[in-house]
Amino acid sequence: MSAIKKMFGIVWSLMGVGIIPLVIMQAMKEIAAKPSEENWIFWSIVIVVLMPIISFSLIIFGVFALRGEYDVLE
Amino acid sequence: MAQNVTNVSQTEEVSSTRRVIAASSVGTLIEWYDFYIFGTLAKIISEQFFPKDNPTAALLATLATFAAGFVIRPFGALFFGRLGDLIGRKYTFLVTLVIMGGSTFAIGLVPGYKTIGFFAPAIVFILRLLQGLALGGEYGGAATYVAEHSPAGQRGFWTSFIQTTATLGLFLALGVILVVRQTLGVETFSDWGWRIPFLLSALLVGVSVFIRMKMSESPMFVKMKKEGKISANPLAESFKKKDNLKMVLIALLGATAGQGVVWYTGQFYALSFLQNACNVEFVQSNVIISIALLIGTPFFIVFGALSDKIGRKYIMMAGMLIAVISYKPIYQAMYDEAALKTKVEMIDKTTIETKEAVKGTDNVTTTVTKKTYEDGTTYKETVKLTVPIDPVKKAELAAADKLKPETKKEVTLPQNSYYKMIGFVLIQVIFVTMVYGPIAAFLVEIFPTRIRYTSMSLPYHIGNGVFGGLVPLISTRLVEATRPAPGLPPADPLAGLMYPILIASVSFVIGMLYISNKTNNMDVE
Repeated sequence: MSAIKKMFGIVWSLMGVGIIPLVIMQAMKEIAAKPSEENWIFWSIVIVVLMPIISFSLIIFGVFALRGEYDVLE
Repeated sequence: MAQNVTNVSQTEEVSSTRRVIAASSVGTLIEWYDFYIFGTLAKIISEQFFPKDNPTAALLATLATFAAGFVIRPFGALFFGRLGDLIGRKYTFLVTLVIMGGSTFAIGLVPGYKTIGFFAPAIVFILRLLQGLALGGEYGGAATYVAEHSPAGQRGFWTSFIQTTATLGLFLALGVILVVRQTLGVETFSDWGWRIPFLLSALLVGVSVFIRMKMSESPMFVKMKKEGKISANPLAESFKKKDNLKMVLIALLGATAGQGVVWYTGQFYALSFLQNACNVEFVQSNVIISIALLIGTPFFIVFGALSDKIGRKYIMMAGMLIAVISYKPIYQAMYDEAALKTKVEMIDKTTIETKEAVKGTDNVTTTVTKKTYEDGTTYKETVKLTVPIDPVKKAELAAADKLKPETKKEVTLPQNSYYKMIGFVLIQVIFVTMVYGPIAAFLVEIFPTRIRYTSMSLPYHIGNGVFGGLVPLISTRLVEATRPAPGLPPADPLAGLMYPILIASVSFVIGMLYISNKTNNMDVE
């Protein structure tokens, strides 16, 4: 179980890192296609609020998991 | 004799816990009521304070709705959580109650945009932020306070009463609004009657403050204070200390994020889906949700109590997993139940009425088509075209392609389909009760007493406010992306479920792997 927890730690960290360029590229693509106020507000909320929370928490969580910080919680 | 003394002592303990639960729950319920009346009356508030022809005011309207729900709540959690860990639970959540009640009451007094111009939306925006801040501080305080009064082994049961308050607060808001609206009439209500539910908050909060003033401080906090173990800097201790930070992260990613999306999907997205994708008539769709919520509410307590017996983890995880697996079939069934394509129309009962009227400087043509189907479903389509009388203005609008009719579709379901819809929503509410019923006990038990209020409030409000609160926005956006062209129906009306399914799936995997099913004793360290 401990090995699986650690292995998944890499997955969470990679997910956290991968989300950043994915979201930014999608936002740029959609805003360029239709630069409406609605689009700006939506992507601003996603990039400023949601994305940092998801990516940073996943990265830190993944690092903790990889280091075995959660091994004691059985 | 000794047995009698023990019995009396146990009875007193239960009675005292009940008083604590009642006082805490009433206050929290009122806070949810205050928070929901703004959202429920959003359309009227928008007309009164955020006129469409003023883009800055319109932007503020959007920000007011979003900022309070998503961004401000976690800040309230940090601010009041810190206070709660420093000066005590009782006074802190008393303050949040007063702030919430005060700002709600004040919204009811703010003059409209027509009277004081731009100040109106600006004041309402600030008051809405205060509401969000207060809500951010309230829940953690109430859950912590109740848990710290509850006997070990029964925390899931007692804290589950706090968990029912969000749903009951929504009921209270809808109930008060409906009663006031029915009593005054739609026009008077839209004119000034909408202020009454806001003003009523002062009375409700007054009663709740009176009750809370008589309550004593949490015994664990008192003990900790006596022993001089109060944290000097709860924020730093919560988020800079690795041992606590890792629990904050696991609470967020493995529990509250998944719980938040399941909560919002089952209660709010279901309503939005009924009204927008299935076109179910406004009152009928609200009644469907209300009945499902009413039947489902006791299950918060059932699952809270069950979590004392078998642990919190597997109930919450089961709720997430079943939700992930069954959302698509449930929503497909809801969609099919209201789909007119599969119903047989009774052509001889179809009526079409067209009315023309002059309203101000416009000609308004309204066409109402009513259809009846063999299973008892009725369909009403209202197409309203507003054209300026002035030919120059008319030509300008036509050139800008702005002369488009507004179409409103309303499906009224027959009794059989109506009951099925209640069933479909009820299943989702049961998922909500599974993930939400035990979560307060889970959160309070994974953090030490000295930083509990701060540490548990943040993941709760990020999970619910950000992950959950964004469900309507992101899901609607995902559905819109499948619309081939404006005016045409979306190609995939279920596309919006992708967001809650994805978040709940990740949360489920993290929760299953890393969360412990053991119950913590919550001793003062």
